[in-house]
Amino acid sequence: MNEMIKELTTMFSFENVKWDAVWEATYETLYMTVVATAFTFIFGIILGIILFLASKSEVKASKPVYGVTAFLVNLFRAIPFIILIILLIPFTKVLMGTIMGPNGAIPALIIGSAPFYARLVEIGLKEIDKGVIEAAESMGAGTWTIIWKVLLPESMPALISGITVTAIMLVGSTAIAGVIGAGGLGNLAYMVGFTRNQSDVTLVATIVILIIVFIIQIAGDFFSKAVDKR
Amino acid sequence: MIDIRNVTKIFKTKSSDIQAVDDVSMNVTQGEIFGVIGYSGAGKSTLIRLLNGLELPSSGDVVIGEDVISKMSKPDLRKKRQKVSMIFQHFNLLWSRTVAENISFPLEIAGVPKKERQKRVQELVELVGLTGREDNYPSQLSGGQKQRVGIARALSNEPKVLLCDEATSALDPETTDEVLDLLVKIRDEMNLTIVLITHEMHVIRKICDRGAVMENGRIVETGPVLKLFQNPEHSVTKRFVKDDINDEETALSFDEVRELFPTSQILKFGFVGSQSKAPIVSQVVKKYDLDLNILSGNIKRTNNESYGHLYVAIDVDDDTLERLKTELSDHDVTVEVEDK
Repeated sequence: MNEMIKELTTMFSFENVKWDAVWEATYETLYMTVVATAFTFIFGIILGIILFLASKSEVKASKPVYGVTAFLVNLFRAIPFIILIILLIPFTKVLMGTIMGPNGAIPALIIGSAPFYARLVEIGLKEIDKGVIEAAESMGAGTWTIIWKVLLPESMPALISGITVTAIMLVGSTAIAGVIGAGGLGNLAYMVGFTRNQSDVTLVATIVILIIVFIIQIAGDFFSKAVDKR
Repeated sequence: MIDIRNVTKIFKTKSSDIQAVDDVSMNVTQGEIFGVIGYSGAGKSTLIRLLNGLELPSSGDVVIGEDVISKMSKPDLRKKRQKVSMIFQHFNLLWSRTVAENISFPLEIAGVPKKERQKRVQELVELVGLTGREDNYPSQLSGGQKQRVGIARALSNEPKVLLCDEATSALDPETTDEVLDLLVKIRDEMNLTIVLITHEMHVIRKICDRGAVMENGRIVETGPVLKLFQNPEHSVTKRFVKDDINDEETALSFDEVRELFPTSQILKFGFVGSQSKAPIVSQVVKKYDLDLNILSGNIKRTNNESYGHLYVAIDVDDDTLERLKTELSDHDVTVEVEDK
């Protein structure tokens, strides 16, 4: 009992918290999340559109294209993130020149989340009224026009709510990456909070992460609603 | 303008082949409103999609103007589709675009500069009677207004042909009439050729010049609309005409009528065109000094002529009846004696 009270007292004392280190870690987490989300958005949409167009009964129906893309997407979605980081070390080294720090984590973050987002994109595109796509074809629209002027705008609310979910997942992934040296709030919570037994630091890291997640969710809901004119 | 030659369309599925269109030939002349009617599954949706190459025929040719639709390259076909536009049962507007942006969409596809697009959109908004609604989203419009946007959008590239895929089937009767009137108006103003498919006979009656009746992928009857109504030959055509006129009520009450007028003959007079406006029956009745009881009557208007029928109970001997028949048929009024 005494043990627990002592623990709680430390947790809420904030005596070990170095605020400049917290800021630094917050910056790193935000940096990793923003960069990874941006690339995930782009790659996920590309993959999602390929999955959608190549699927049966669509404009560019193609079994081999769908098969290969779906296989890759499923494969990278199946690998646990912590293992994916380790697997990608040689690739990361070549691509980023380092395997440490925020930049060292970004390739794994993107490769881990783009396939997940691609599936969300595919679901969003499937929700589009087939008649609207047919109408665009009947006007003489080519595939690119259909992608830019029909598929993307008509699925935008789903694309935004999808990237919101993915970005929040990415915040969690940056924390995992932090444990093996990527920096950020996860790193702070583990290296300082856990290994030095300074639970007040862990608490602060948690609170900052929660704030980031809430802001992402609120912004995502706002934008998803703003573009929805249905 | 449109020539369909021995077109067959077969959809291959795993279990069986479905013959949606079966050796159909028909032609539509420039400036005509041509209606194809059939029950669902008759193949009319496939037929209309063959006209803009959304479906390609398994055999046979579809020719519009100078172009063989079924043999065009993809870029040429896309270009051609700007001149063969389409409107849909469920309007198929982009919800993410405003009225003006929806109408502008085909112009963007055709690569029209922005200034010109805006000007053209404004003209079309006025043409279809949606002034003031330019910045609304489709979700803020009623069904009839949505179809007006659909029509404006279809007209934006000044097409030669307009295809209407059950364009009024999702609308209430009053809105249907408004949209049909609009179609006639744009046909007259823009010298369009319109092909429409429907399962509603009154759509054919109201605006079409000629019509075709489809069943099981085949055209079973085709001809001028007045002829289809006045003298339907195939059983499917008869059913559609009957549904439109609502003949069944009349038939049901015949038994009661016979009880009321046991000695009378029941005659059906049929009128077409201008004759249906002249008082011929009245004149003939006066001439022969006959008494008649009017049982029921009906006049329907097609896009350019009216036709109708009149059921009467009349006390008449066979000799006079024959003379009556001759006299009336001289005035293009048909006489049928209903069986006792």
